[in-house]
Amino acid sequence: MTDTTPPLPEKARAAEGPWATAWRRLKRDRAALAALAVLLVILAACLAAPLYATYVSGTNPFATNLNGTITVDGKSRDVLEASTEGLGLGLTPIGPTWQLGPYMLGADNQGRDVAARLLYGGRNSLFIAGAAAVLCLVVATFVGVVAGFFGGLVDTVLSRILDVLWAFPIFLLAISLSIVLISQPLLIGPFEIRSGSLALPIVIIGVVYIPYVARPIRNHVITLMKSEFVTAAVGLGASPWRILWVDILPNVVTRIIVFVPLMLALNMIIESALSFLSIGVQPPDASWGTIIQDGQGLLYSRPAVALAPGIAIAVTVLALNIFGDGVRDALDPKSTVRIG
Amino acid sequence: MLFALLARLGQMVLVMFGISVVAFLIFFATPGADPSARIAGRNASQETLQQVRHDFGLDRPLPVQYALMMKRLFVTRDLTSFVNRGQKVIPTVMNAIPITLSLVCGAAVLWVLGGLVVGVVAGATRGSYVDRGLMMLGLAGISMPVFWLGEVANLVTQSRWHDTWAFSWVPALGYVPLSVDPWGWFKALVIPWTVLATLYVGLYGRVLRASLIEMMQEDFIRTARAKGIGETRVLLHHGLRTSLVAFVTMFGLDFGALVGGGALLTEVVFGLQGVGKLTYDALQTLDLPMILATVIYASFFVVMANFVVDILHAILDPRARDAR
Amino acid sequence: MRPRTTLAALMSGIALAGLAASMPAGGAHAQEGTPGGTMRLLAKAASGTIDPHINYTLQYFQINYMLYDGLVTFRKAGDETGFDVVADLAEELPEPQNDGKTYVFKLREGIRFSDGTDLTPEDVLASFQRIFKVSGPTSGTFYNGIVGADACLESPADCTLDGGVVIDDAANTVTINLTAPDGEFLQKIAIPHAAILPAETPAEDAGTTPVPGTGPYMIESYNPNEQLRMVRNPHFAEWSADAQPAGYPDQIDYDFGLTEEAAVTAIQNGQADWMFDPPPPDRLAEIGSRYASQVSVHPLTAMWYAPMNTNLAPFDDVRVRQAVNYAIDRSAIVKLFGGAALAQPACQILPPGFPSYVPYCPYTAGGTDTWSAPDMEKARALVAESGTAGQEVTIVAEDNTVSRAIGVYLQGVLNELGYKTSVQPISQNIQFTYIQNTNNKVQISISQWFQDYPSPSNFLQVLFGCDSFTPGSDASVNIAGFCDEAIDAKMDEAAALTLTDPEKSAQMWTEVDHAVTDAAPAAVLFTPKRVDFVSKRVQNFTFSPQFYWIMSQSWLQ
Repeated sequence: MTDTTPPLPEKARAAEGPWATAWRRLKRDRAALAALAVLLVILAACLAAPLYATYVSGTNPFATNLNGTITVDGKSRDVLEASTEGLGLGLTPIGPTWQLGPYMLGADNQGRDVAARLLYGGRNSLFIAGAAAVLCLVVATFVGVVAGFFGGLVDTVLSRILDVLWAFPIFLLAISLSIVLISQPLLIGPFEIRSGSLALPIVIIGVVYIPYVARPIRNHVITLMKSEFVTAAVGLGASPWRILWVDILPNVVTRIIVFVPLMLALNMIIESALSFLSIGVQPPDASWGTIIQDGQGLLYSRPAVALAPGIAIAVTVLALNIFGDGVRDALDPKSTVRIG
Repeated sequence: MLFALLARLGQMVLVMFGISVVAFLIFFATPGADPSARIAGRNASQETLQQVRHDFGLDRPLPVQYALMMKRLFVTRDLTSFVNRGQKVIPTVMNAIPITLSLVCGAAVLWVLGGLVVGVVAGATRGSYVDRGLMMLGLAGISMPVFWLGEVANLVTQSRWHDTWAFSWVPALGYVPLSVDPWGWFKALVIPWTVLATLYVGLYGRVLRASLIEMMQEDFIRTARAKGIGETRVLLHHGLRTSLVAFVTMFGLDFGALVGGGALLTEVVFGLQGVGKLTYDALQTLDLPMILATVIYASFFVVMANFVVDILHAILDPRARDAR
Repeated sequence: MRPRTTLAALMSGIALAGLAASMPAGGAHAQEGTPGGTMRLLAKAASGTIDPHINYTLQYFQINYMLYDGLVTFRKAGDETGFDVVADLAEELPEPQNDGKTYVFKLREGIRFSDGTDLTPEDVLASFQRIFKVSGPTSGTFYNGIVGADACLESPADCTLDGGVVIDDAANTVTINLTAPDGEFLQKIAIPHAAILPAETPAEDAGTTPVPGTGPYMIESYNPNEQLRMVRNPHFAEWSADAQPAGYPDQIDYDFGLTEEAAVTAIQNGQADWMFDPPPPDRLAEIGSRYASQVSVHPLTAMWYAPMNTNLAPFDDVRVRQAVNYAIDRSAIVKLFGGAALAQPACQILPPGFPSYVPYCPYTAGGTDTWSAPDMEKARALVAESGTAGQEVTIVAEDNTVSRAIGVYLQGVLNELGYKTSVQPISQNIQFTYIQNTNNKVQISISQWFQDYPSPSNFLQVLFGCDSFTPGSDASVNIAGFCDEAIDAKMDEAAALTLTDPEKSAQMWTEVDHAVTDAAPAAVLFTPKRVDFVSKRVQNFTFSPQFYWIMSQSWLQ
């Protein structure tokens, strides 16, 4: 029984290619389209961050603004307000004004505009998630296909390396790397990774999920190798490279595409966790995870600082997951790719 | 079969060895990781620093240090922490296990029950609004970072509405041993359980639904239906039983990873001194003996879970055995 | 082990009846409390070994002062007299003899350790040897002046301190000989690192095993992941209310693991009595208003500062270092620490209230003695003069909210001065050793310094003396790598004069303070204050400048 052959076109449109079928299915999926629209809106908003910072918030979201004042409802207020009650301990950053303008979502403990940082942070979060997904999928596909195609010792060695990677605590890797890089930048071929550059979280997140993607690809390739059409091709005397290019890879590609939105979603979450542990984006730059970290210290007096980026992550990841579902249903309805 | 089993066990040991070596090397590649100066104390003289380095064997070649550390971890079992000196690593990890187990088991009960209900209801009402609503809720649960959800739960139950009737029963953060006060144990853990389970309920519900739907199209179910067995009975009796293979596989992997310390962020947010928190603290202080112990402990569970699941899979699903 | 525990429990029960009668009577206390009850203290984490000769943390110094005694100690008082050294296990403070090189201590009679054994001169000798045998953190810096200490540092296992510490069992005296006069010697042996322990205490780090002491409490159990429990020492009878007063609570539990947020909540709800870690800034307004009666704020003899590496560009140019000092708005940084109620802007090395402190601030607009506002123009002019604008600078901060925020603030300042600046936060535990090692090429960092004992040398000589700079070592506490021969000579001279001409010495330290401040190896940022938040039932909160809250002197209502 071969339940892994590419999705067969529906009978009514026998002439249609698999990609066209997928696209047609996706277009019918209203939830997926709505999710896509939400994603595009979020992306556009994040890309417009400099405009927001210049024309709406009017403050530099990367510099401390400890002595600043703003005018709310005709009254001048300090951005960091000193407590006047009792012993007068503590300073509280200004809360959300809920008006389009400076400090719409309030300030963080350094007097910076949270709304502007949220938009800039979204850029970094999305960029890191995207770049890490690309890195991960490329490497994982290579490893998975090589392991599955050649089998034997190659497969055993690669699989065990994947095991090590999968069971290895990523936070140890991340913390060590971030310290190692302060002293000397790491050179990987033409790429240079410096501390504080976005490359660090990208590499860490990209590497961590390689086993997660490579394993199903490997299993898929192994099943394909045993399938009737490959056996048939071997019987017809096709060269291994031909089998790889013609029979294996095209089948693997649909799987990989199914992974893309799900990897993005996963990466968003892990990026926030890394930044929460301050291994990801370095100050004064922002990502949604670092804003949650900043807001953690203000959770009781100014919960908006931590809530806003958390909601942003949840909405983005939700949209990615819904869209990912749509893509999967459209491309590969029987796949059991797992999210989360 | 026996040989394959032994070979796989050997590979497992190899993987754990690899992990411990990598952790060890990463530690020594990190500038500022040398614990001598921290052990010696601020403003220590150079003689004292050398003495400490010598006492802790940090001036010996790396392979020797590694071998000694492994010997003290596995043979004499008296490896002590670099940070809290004199604190034996193995009993510390042992003491943390019940806390992690309490957290993970409680959450597992919640998410398995929740996942079953969500999966079966959604599978049975496929395509309806109930199905869509449940799936959307499940996705929402998956989409929230767990540490953030924990923080929000703390905000609500510990501060904002702590004084209201709804949450006045919530105790201060921290763990209460089951043997000391079962009711206190339950109260202290019920919110962490819920937060941790939120992620998995959605996940399991979705997987169960998908595999139920797939199964319902299989031939033997059609046969069962054709025999005139009621739809509910078909679903519960045949569909569910078959779908549980995927469910159990997933559960094994997740449970292994969580018991191994994967619930790190949940433990940190809720102040539970489990293995995850131990790992987190050891990483924060770069406490090599503790890092090695927790890393090996965690990898044992992860690798073990993989192994068990592979074996189960091979037994339950002949196709998988052919594939390897 | 089991029978022994039972016995100890039994004995403490018996002793309790006797203790209640001998509670501190009158004198030090305006009102009286009733002894008894269990106090619950909280800290985010334990603080390492409980060996009093090794542990070098504020957290355990505070409790070690009531668990152990030295020959002398600091007075347990809530005002500036808390900085005074008083006789503890010794009957009285000895006068230095032999030009300040010899001290003779006569031990008090009848003092017993918590394991029931009597205190003898033998214990004192063994304890001093033990400081070296366990490679105590300060063995090479505080106690290296004792005769025979060199040999002990060389080969700790064979330490005898022959001729350095001489005991006379018959006369019950201990004589300590120094290689050179040391005006700070009594202060150095007043800290817990010179605590007197039973002679049979193993010469290795005690780790988590309690060591018997002579104080009113003893450690019953210690698990760094859970709790440190202190109970009454059944063999304690008060001998001096100044040195070691009897305590009020019957038991003190120190619980570890709760975050600061959770600890504040627990204290508010009466589930705990005190927290070691400072309350999170987020909760200050709340506890300062609704719980004002339970809060005490005290200035510390400490500083937050930004050491600048005097051997690396651009900070190898004194003008650049001065420019940074001119440019920093210290009142802004104070806001990052929780506002004016929690910290005071500072710009000289010695903290206010410290011996030899005379207000001095060359780096302020308006030319006053204390800092009032930054002088950006002057700073820009200095940078322009140095011609270093455009260089790259990395600020190494600690990975916590305040240090990170200060890092970002300094980044703004340095960028404004024309540098290309980045901030690099590193895990709190690694940062302190990382910034010390010259191999890591740290240009500027953010750090703190808390006094060990109240002497100007503890700031000036330790942090900016040539001796504390060791290139390539993780233990090189002169982070700035500052070594000025003239200033160093003056510090030595001031230290030498402590005994013979204290006034002259104090004045010289003042001059050194100003000279170091002028040379600007660091930008001093502010003097922190400590916020203690206690539960409603804690009464008689006494804050010593030396060891903070004296927990044994508070009672529970």
